[in-house]
Amino acid sequence: MDTIVITGASSGIGLETARILALQGFTLLVVGRNEANCIRAKEKILSENPDAQIEYFVADLMQQREVIRISEEITSYLNDKCDGKLYALINNAGCVRSWYMTTEEGYEQQFALNHLAGFLLTYKLLPALIKAPGRVIMTGSESHKGIKVRWDNIMLYRRYNPLTAYKQSKLCNILFAKGLNDRYNASGIRAYVVDPGLVNTEIGNKETGGIVNFIWSLRKRYGVTPDVPAKTYAFLCDRENTPEGLYYYLCKEKKYSREVTSENADRLFELSERLCGIHYGKVESL
Amino acid sequence: MNVMITGAAGGLGRAFANECASRGYNLLLTDINEDGLLCLKRGLERQFDVTVATIACDLTNPESVDKMLDVIDKHGIRFDMLINVAGLDYEGEFMGRDREKIVKIVLLNNAATLRITHAIIKRRRIGKPFTIVFVSSLASMFPMPIKATYAASKRFLLDFAISLRQELKKEHINVLTLCPGGMVTTQETMSSILAQGFWGDATTNSLDAVARNTIDRALAGKSLYVPGKLNRILSLLGKIVPRSWVAAAIYWRWKAVSER
Repeated sequence: MDTIVITGASSGIGLETARILALQGFTLLVVGRNEANCIRAKEKILSENPDAQIEYFVADLMQQREVIRISEEITSYLNDKCDGKLYALINNAGCVRSWYMTTEEGYEQQFALNHLAGFLLTYKLLPALIKAPGRVIMTGSESHKGIKVRWDNIMLYRRYNPLTAYKQSKLCNILFAKGLNDRYNASGIRAYVVDPGLVNTEIGNKETGGIVNFIWSLRKRYGVTPDVPAKTYAFLCDRENTPEGLYYYLCKEKKYSREVTSENADRLFELSERLCGIHYGKVESL
Repeated sequence: MNVMITGAAGGLGRAFANECASRGYNLLLTDINEDGLLCLKRGLERQFDVTVATIACDLTNPESVDKMLDVIDKHGIRFDMLINVAGLDYEGEFMGRDREKIVKIVLLNNAATLRITHAIIKRRRIGKPFTIVFVSSLASMFPMPIKATYAASKRFLLDFAISLRQELKKEHINVLTLCPGGMVTTQETMSSILAQGFWGDATTNSLDAVARNTIDRALAGKSLYVPGKLNRILSLLGKIVPRSWVAAAIYWRWKAVSER
């Protein structure tokens, strides 16, 4: 059975996506930060669908050593049970912050979790993705438009604005997907970004304070329920159909920022590789 | 420029390390958390073109400090700046806390800070200006029930630093004391700041700005830095209002918060 890894799947968009994909018969490896929430998520999916194949892995993906640890656990699971193949990786885990906070490496937390964690996890699971060949899906946001990557100060150090940091991390998601397609389409891998739209989840209330918490509490009331964006992930995981686009909203292709170019993607790869201490392959000539 | 930072793997320590590295300073980082130090070293070296050395050390243990000094001496390292960040706090009433934990506050915040400061001043680069930063706290300005030991330990640092500054002026050594309000360094500090509502939020300082301004001011020869206008007003009040009144007001407020 085809296997899908989905991060940030113990609540919100990730949980709903995991639920729908389990109904379609995929084996699900869900990653969450809190074990109790992971257990609750697993029980929720099993209560509706007792035959669902679901395993959970607990990790704080903001910390690179945690990403490396679970990538090894996931790889050995895939080798034991799934013929070493990974059908899809959904890099969904993300956060919002109100203040400049850093990871153990001293990296800004939104950039570290929303972009670098997925960048590193994808690299670590690349052999399994190539073997399938699989798909990589990022949870993006329409807010990636209207800004540029601050190449000389990607952590926004000294000029920290939490919203800019969030938007930039979401722009990085699309650049990463673009760069993955440039490098690995020839190997059969496809990368996508989903714009979930405004969804009623807790993202802006988790470990935020002051104005960010308040605004999000007001905004989320107008959001759709998480099953709406979950359908787009399911569409992109469809076995019968390999969509050709990059950025999707409500199962349809959407226009993305003009900043999303191969040149910027290469630049982001180079920078992110340095920050993760890894090296993806060269751009393949098609 | 060689800078030593204690307590480097914590939130404020990392902010100082980032700030120094972004200025191109070479770093010797120490902390009791060895994994944290190694992660930070990797992160800094991947971002900046600087040399970062780490030595895990328990500053409250004289032997552990001696071992670290041996390594420093073996490599002949000399310093231009020392940033004393290492410190700890356990919140709660004096009699409600574990005895040894309370003693540990003074052992680290005071005794260990004196030990390392003495050792590193001896290992400063001769003939060049030297800078010392002590991380005290806004809490040093008031007697603070519930944080009694912590606030007093930070008061010790403040008074000590001001005196030391006079003694060392002739040697071209500047001593700056940083007295920040709350800073969002970890998820726990964030929850505790949020629990305090408006005052928690209003006295909170942004980590990156505090690190940057502290080093700017220390290098400019300043003696005290209280980040934030409101915090400066509060510290002024601490000097005018009788100390027993301040203590009563703070106790009343903390009680109100903890019952929330």
